[in-house]
Amino acid sequence: MRVISDADLRGLAADLLAAGSTVWGPARVPGSPRPGVEYRPLREAAELDLGAGLPFLPLKQVFLPPTEPLFWWERKGTEVRLVPPAPPNRRVVVIGARPCDAAGADAMDRVMGWDYRDELWFARRDAATVVTVACERPADEACFCSDVGLGPSHPRGSDLLLIPHPGGYAVEEVTAKGRELVAAFPHRFREDEQVTPGETAAAGPPRIDLAGVQRWLADHFEDETWNEVALRCHGCGACASVCPACHCFDIVDEPDSLLAGTRRRNWDSCQTSRFTVHASGHNPREGQHARVRQRVVHKFQVFPRRFGRLLCTGCGRCTRACPAGQDLFEILTLVSERALETS
Amino acid sequence: MRASSLYEPLLSEIARVEEETPDTRTYFLAADAIPWRGTYRPGQFVEVSAFGVGEAPFCLSQSPTRAAFIEVTIRRTGSVTNRLDTYGAGDLVGLRGPFGNGFPVERARGKDLIFVAGGIGLPPLRSLINYVLDRRSDYGDVKVFYGARSPADRVYKNELAEWRRSPDLSVVETVDRPDEGWDGPVGVVTALLKGLKVHPASTMAFTCGPPVMLEFVTAELLRLGLHPSNIVTTLERYMKCGVGKCGHCCVGHHYICVDGPVYNLDQIQRLPEAP
Repeated sequence: MRVISDADLRGLAADLLAAGSTVWGPARVPGSPRPGVEYRPLREAAELDLGAGLPFLPLKQVFLPPTEPLFWWERKGTEVRLVPPAPPNRRVVVIGARPCDAAGADAMDRVMGWDYRDELWFARRDAATVVTVACERPADEACFCSDVGLGPSHPRGSDLLLIPHPGGYAVEEVTAKGRELVAAFPHRFREDEQVTPGETAAAGPPRIDLAGVQRWLADHFEDETWNEVALRCHGCGACASVCPACHCFDIVDEPDSLLAGTRRRNWDSCQTSRFTVHASGHNPREGQHARVRQRVVHKFQVFPRRFGRLLCTGCGRCTRACPAGQDLFEILTLVSERALETS
Repeated sequence: MRASSLYEPLLSEIARVEEETPDTRTYFLAADAIPWRGTYRPGQFVEVSAFGVGEAPFCLSQSPTRAAFIEVTIRRTGSVTNRLDTYGAGDLVGLRGPFGNGFPVERARGKDLIFVAGGIGLPPLRSLINYVLDRRSDYGDVKVFYGARSPADRVYKNELAEWRRSPDLSVVETVDRPDEGWDGPVGVVTALLKGLKVHPASTMAFTCGPPVMLEFVTAELLRLGLHPSNIVTTLERYMKCGVGKCGHCCVGHHYICVDGPVYNLDQIQRLPEAP
């Protein structure tokens, strides 16, 4: 099997940086109040830190930045001029994506590409090669990728999948883009017949009945469960901000002056009360129970039916980020149990 | 294609503005620079930008058969509409669209049509009413019922008078609070529908107005014997992108901006969340 050593993976990052690519990878952030790593554009290969678990923010920031300009506008008299942002002109390689993050971007491709095509998203997707490192063990007890049809070495959304073994990684070429990366830097890879793909981290058996969950969600839109699970929710939207698959955004104008400004899109969350409020003040989604329900039903029933993917990859970030201790897997477990009771 | 074309509006010049009511204006946008003039469907909407404040969705209020201008009728309600209110002829707005499904003009062919509007609910229906008038022989009997809070709150006062004079349709108006010059009916628009003679199998109704009006109007239309699939309305939902990405208008399985905003009652009854 094709393998890459620890040193060569770092070497690959260095080669790419030297060749002018933007390389994103998990790295410590100097001075950050948060422990652990974040996905960052690396300045040097030595910053790459693959041993520190799941970055706090998801990989989607590479393709949908937390805030990005849609265009700049400028007014001169009655004339208005619009200046669009430049398309990405550099190759982007992500080294050390986690499988849940790679799969999240794949789920977002569905909504970004249906009917209208979001060129800003796909320009970044097309320019990027995602090299994923499979997880040897769950980051912590909040992880539940194996319960949502994925797993610690699931290839979805990855171009190359690296499966750790002592001293390095077995290399699974998932897409043509992945093969091209290997072909471009052949000296970083070698063949090792001792290593077999069988050594991948094993996905555990699912702890919930996903089909049952989806069945229950489809016909329990009105249910006391939503009032129960919403009691904890503050409506802050932290869960969506750290989600690798939440695609909602707001579009806002930020004036620099009366004569110029920027229209931007920013990450948004359906958990805040203002997400659906009309200019008239009317809010068709009153009540936090309706907003928590929206999150769960959309991710596990609506989106999969429409786009063929769950809008959740089991990364557990929402659970880790929630200031009120809301636990998405706990909600799914509860729904799974209620599905059993009603089946 | 430029990178952000999906979100980058066309610049469109306001040719003139018509004051409809104390808080509502119709903006006539010069159509010659708009490639989709004359080709949109009645019931579609556009995102209108006031640069520096933002963008908001508004229905196209004129029929595509009348392509001299792109028309939007806007009530002053929030930050964008308040800024637009300061604009006049020669000012530029941004325009993205046309978006959404539009009214089922083909399915309505050959049918008798009932339009029931309340207040600012007339503009979306007007895009279809004028479309029907311009293809008059394709449609059966046309009746328009319009209710407003007061005579001054009626939009399209001149056009209503023209419609009233036209042999092509009948128009009945009512107001909640009459003034001295008002000699028409007083009360809710629903009252005008009571006892109406219709052929339920060959009649379609189009209605738009405040939620409480819609509730009573649809109940009355059902009582007249119309099938829910022949009662059509256009839903309002907070929207940002207009292209099924930003998630704001997501209701159950529907992205209202792409799958709607026009729905029949049959579909609305199956939406999990009341609009």
